[in-house]
Amino acid sequence: MTPTSRLLTALFPPLALLLLAGPLVAQDDDKVAARDKALAEADRKAFEANMKAFDADVKPLLAKYCVSCHGPNKLEGDLSLALLDPDMKDSASGARWATVRERLETREMPPEGEPRPTKDETAKILAWIKAEMKRARRNFTRRLQHVSGNKVPHALLFDPEHEADLDVPPRLRRKSVEIYEVFRREQAKGFENLVGNPFTPDPRFLFKDMGSPELDVPTTSQLLRNAMTIVERQTAFRVEDGEVKPLPGGRKEFIALLDEKKPFGPEEMAKAVTMQFQRTLGRSPSDEELQRFVRLTEKNVKDAGRVAGLRYSLAAVFLLPEAIFRYEIGGTPDDDGRTRLTPTEIAEALAYALTDKSPPSYLLSMAEKGELDTASGVRKAVERMLADEKTDTARILRFFHEYFEYPKADEVFKNPEDFKPHKAKVLVSDTDNLVRWILEKDQEVLRELLTTNKAFVNTRYDAGKKKIVQYESKAQAHLSYSLPPDWKWTDEQPIEMPPGTRAGILTQPSWLVAWSMNQDNHAILRGKFVRERLLGNVVPDIPITVDAQLPDAPEKTLRERMEVTREEYCWQCHKLMNDVGLPFENFDHFGRWRAVEVGKPADGRGGIELTGDERIDGTKTEDALQFVQALAKSERVEQVFVRHVFRYFTGRNENLGDGPSLRAAHAAYRESGGSFKTLVAAILASDSFLYRTPENRETAAN
Amino acid sequence: MQLDRSRRNFLRNTGFGVGALALSPIMQQLEARAAGIAPKAPRFVFVVESNGLPPAHVAPPGVKRGTRRQQPLNGPAEFLDLSLAERDLPVSLEPVSPWKDKVTIVQGLSGKVCGGGHSNNFQALGAFGAGRGASGESTAVLGPTVDGALAKHLGGIFPYVGLGISGRLENSVVYSISAAGENKPLPIVVKPDQAMGMLFGSVAKGHARDEFVAKRNLLDFLREDVKRAENRLAGPERRQLSAYLESFDTLSDRQSRLNEIEHTLREHAPAPDDKYTSEVETDRLDAQFDLAAASLISGLTNVVTISSAAGVRDFGITFTGLGLKKGKHHTGHGGGQNGMDWAGVYNMIRRYHFDLIAGLVKKLEAIPEGDGTMLDNTVIVYLSDGAEGHHSRTWEWPFVMIGNAGGKLKTGRYVDYPGYGHLGHRTTANLYTTLLNVAGSNVERFGMMDPNLKDLDQTGPLQELLA
Repeated sequence: MTPTSRLLTALFPPLALLLLAGPLVAQDDDKVAARDKALAEADRKAFEANMKAFDADVKPLLAKYCVSCHGPNKLEGDLSLALLDPDMKDSASGARWATVRERLETREMPPEGEPRPTKDETAKILAWIKAEMKRARRNFTRRLQHVSGNKVPHALLFDPEHEADLDVPPRLRRKSVEIYEVFRREQAKGFENLVGNPFTPDPRFLFKDMGSPELDVPTTSQLLRNAMTIVERQTAFRVEDGEVKPLPGGRKEFIALLDEKKPFGPEEMAKAVTMQFQRTLGRSPSDEELQRFVRLTEKNVKDAGRVAGLRYSLAAVFLLPEAIFRYEIGGTPDDDGRTRLTPTEIAEALAYALTDKSPPSYLLSMAEKGELDTASGVRKAVERMLADEKTDTARILRFFHEYFEYPKADEVFKNPEDFKPHKAKVLVSDTDNLVRWILEKDQEVLRELLTTNKAFVNTRYDAGKKKIVQYESKAQAHLSYSLPPDWKWTDEQPIEMPPGTRAGILTQPSWLVAWSMNQDNHAILRGKFVRERLLGNVVPDIPITVDAQLPDAPEKTLRERMEVTREEYCWQCHKLMNDVGLPFENFDHFGRWRAVEVGKPADGRGGIELTGDERIDGTKTEDALQFVQALAKSERVEQVFVRHVFRYFTGRNENLGDGPSLRAAHAAYRESGGSFKTLVAAILASDSFLYRTPENRETAAN
Repeated sequence: MQLDRSRRNFLRNTGFGVGALALSPIMQQLEARAAGIAPKAPRFVFVVESNGLPPAHVAPPGVKRGTRRQQPLNGPAEFLDLSLAERDLPVSLEPVSPWKDKVTIVQGLSGKVCGGGHSNNFQALGAFGAGRGASGESTAVLGPTVDGALAKHLGGIFPYVGLGISGRLENSVVYSISAAGENKPLPIVVKPDQAMGMLFGSVAKGHARDEFVAKRNLLDFLREDVKRAENRLAGPERRQLSAYLESFDTLSDRQSRLNEIEHTLREHAPAPDDKYTSEVETDRLDAQFDLAAASLISGLTNVVTISSAAGVRDFGITFTGLGLKKGKHHTGHGGGQNGMDWAGVYNMIRRYHFDLIAGLVKKLEAIPEGDGTMLDNTVIVYLSDGAEGHHSRTWEWPFVMIGNAGGKLKTGRYVDYPGYGHLGHRTTANLYTTLLNVAGSNVERFGMMDPNLKDLDQTGPLQELLA
């Protein structure tokens, strides 16, 4: 099977079915008619059964619980459940029923305080909705990706009793900014400045490689220009004494074809295109592809000469959909409507989950040998990649960058007069090293990240020497860590911090600076961070009518100035942030531990409330260290961490159908004693990563 | 097939109809200019400088104007309208003094729906907002920005050209202030050499006419290929390929239209020199202004946005080319340098921008069009994405405009709108509505309404600016 025909079968299973069924059907028209009649009859029966079930089981429940708000008299959300057509096949009601289904599944509706259907009653309604959707052959499950993944109720995701079907649409994702970056560095070595990165992350999502921005004209136009620029280099030549010679960057194989004295027929053309395919796509073209490329080359040679002919064909390879997109489509769906990604898709998805590079050869050969056909096989592949010294770890470290956002420290402007030794780059590099060190040990990774009393100080990781070296001999970074002024640098890192001053990343100067303002701490954003990324709640955006600003009162502490947020209107949101952001007032805005703020004892009191999780609500703490220790002890915080790791490595927000995968991943993390590698392997070997639930073709056609 | 139909609509709506037998709009436009006929709609240039434009800095000497307080009813209840004829321009605007009769300084508009902060990002030209995002300054793209909306309305080979400088040298293209629609940010090319390639690459040295044909063949080939891949997909995932395909359609059409005006392009293409790749930001900005002028004059576009490090990721840029060592963030926090206080530094940097604007004005004035020159049919709008100050609160938002749009705008004036909430108070959304109306798009309003001004009429253009 050629790659294309394999792709074709993978992408278009019905075609394969048709090819098989075609001759049989054609032989006997009567049989077709009989089958159609039987199908129509079955459909009519199913329709009647469903409408009867609606009237008997569902309608009374809707009348009892929903119609008072969504009825003929009151139209909350413009929805009338008294009028919504139960026939989802011949009406346009399906999408709205999908919303009803979602609201019931997440228990968002009916709202708290209103009478709610019992568990059995809810199950009855849901069963009917699913049955009617099945009859209508439409999977209306909402594909809307919540921009905030936290909106999916935590308690349901981790409730072992809660059942929901896997719901992951097939995807075609544009390659990430970083994947293109690797491509750019490889292909445009020495002239990177002439080849710009055309991709930009979707700023709505927490992690950069989430969502799937569509290609627009400027992006495509840049891709096209980049392709031409690279190809011009590949084929740069000069003529010397009638001989064609490569210029720097020119590839001999291509240049040889530009010599007008030598032949340039279909064979040479095919050879050049094959070479470009292998270099950029890691595969050979199919026969059919080759023919088309040769036709293009011939046409261009005729219209624009040999040089242009060659160049434009070589450039076209860079622009094939396969070079731009990641395919996660899968094969033929099974009876449950699920389809597993094809082995090559899995190999590519794994490679791009863990690195910014295309799959290493051993992964491709595992795919070919069928070793990725089982979850345990996939887990083994992930373990192998993670253990492989050649695997580039940049993308894994980037998870911690994007999750904790400590590298942002470098973007926060601090007046140099206020604290001269402040060097954000050094602080960020130190935290990077701390993360690497914790990942290397790979035990209780989250707890260590949140509580370690060790820190790297004024360090840089020397990738060549594979060891920690001094960042800069003159850097006074130790002052940021509140070490004694005469502290001497040592390569025995990490070092223990003065007792009672540091516990993990949230007390590292880099993180504290990243989440500070120019001249002050930013307790509100810190609170938002803790609330959303550790406690897994949702903080609403600032309403546009709010002119949020704290009073300018230099004699007061930040905590005192934030008293204004206790006003009732502000407090609706600020109650979510203040108590979980203020504990870090034990540090100044350069990240130095402090005992005193504007003449008063520094006050790092805080507490945890309103998480909706009784296991931690009601916690009270005295200072930053106690606070992060309390977070680190919480199972909920650990689960929220798992949710974020899931988002990063699958490139999407979770939904209720991912509950089983998340629960299994969390269990694996626990059983392994908090191994990050085990956690990642569990996520990548889960159904959520390996399966897709395509919509019915009927839906697509509509 | 539905997708094909939508693609045709797309092409028609954006004025890219394939296979137009008659003279294409661009040729019509160029021929009309040669025949002494003015265009129906003016062109627009937006110059957006980071770090705020303090109201005091655009008040002519003798006109007392400080920053208004951050509260409702923060200014007079009356509209102020002064002629510039008898007045000097403030020091940073002096370079455009020779065209004082075409200048309008607009003060007192508010933009409270925007979140404020170091930059209002897309909100600055979008007049929309949803409060502040996670990092303090929202980068939400809730709809088209005014330049994006004008581009859509006016069309052109490049409906929109975004040029600029970024503080980060590694950047080629940034998405910071312009958008074609909701979640559709438009690119600002921040490397002049790349912008040159994009706009005039088709006539650059070494690119023979043959290459046009080869490129067409390539685009056809890719369209074909993407279409095949598209046909193999069923669900919404197919949409990704459709978008890719649409972009090829547009590029292919653009290619043939560039072909048509090849001579004009050769005539007006700037000759790139060192400043196109310079590490000095003033050089790059200078190059971008050259490209802006050339693309307007050769008819490549009708809407250009020039971003001087606008957007929250870039606003701290240091103007080393002006001898400065500390960035604009430092200046914004009141830091002086080189013997100047912060205001002096602000004025010096802004004056450099107005030197460049004056250069653009001069070039447009040199090209005859209709009864006058291209300048008569161009409106240049200068503003800061940081509204009125380094930490903008958007209670007010000063603008400087040059050009009367073929007589549609009343110019040579200094106007100041009543304080926030007073009868007659207007917002940036009204100014953008004005520009769209001047361009011939008779929209009632643009952007979002300010919910705190619900008692005032927020629709319609700024009648006071119209002739």
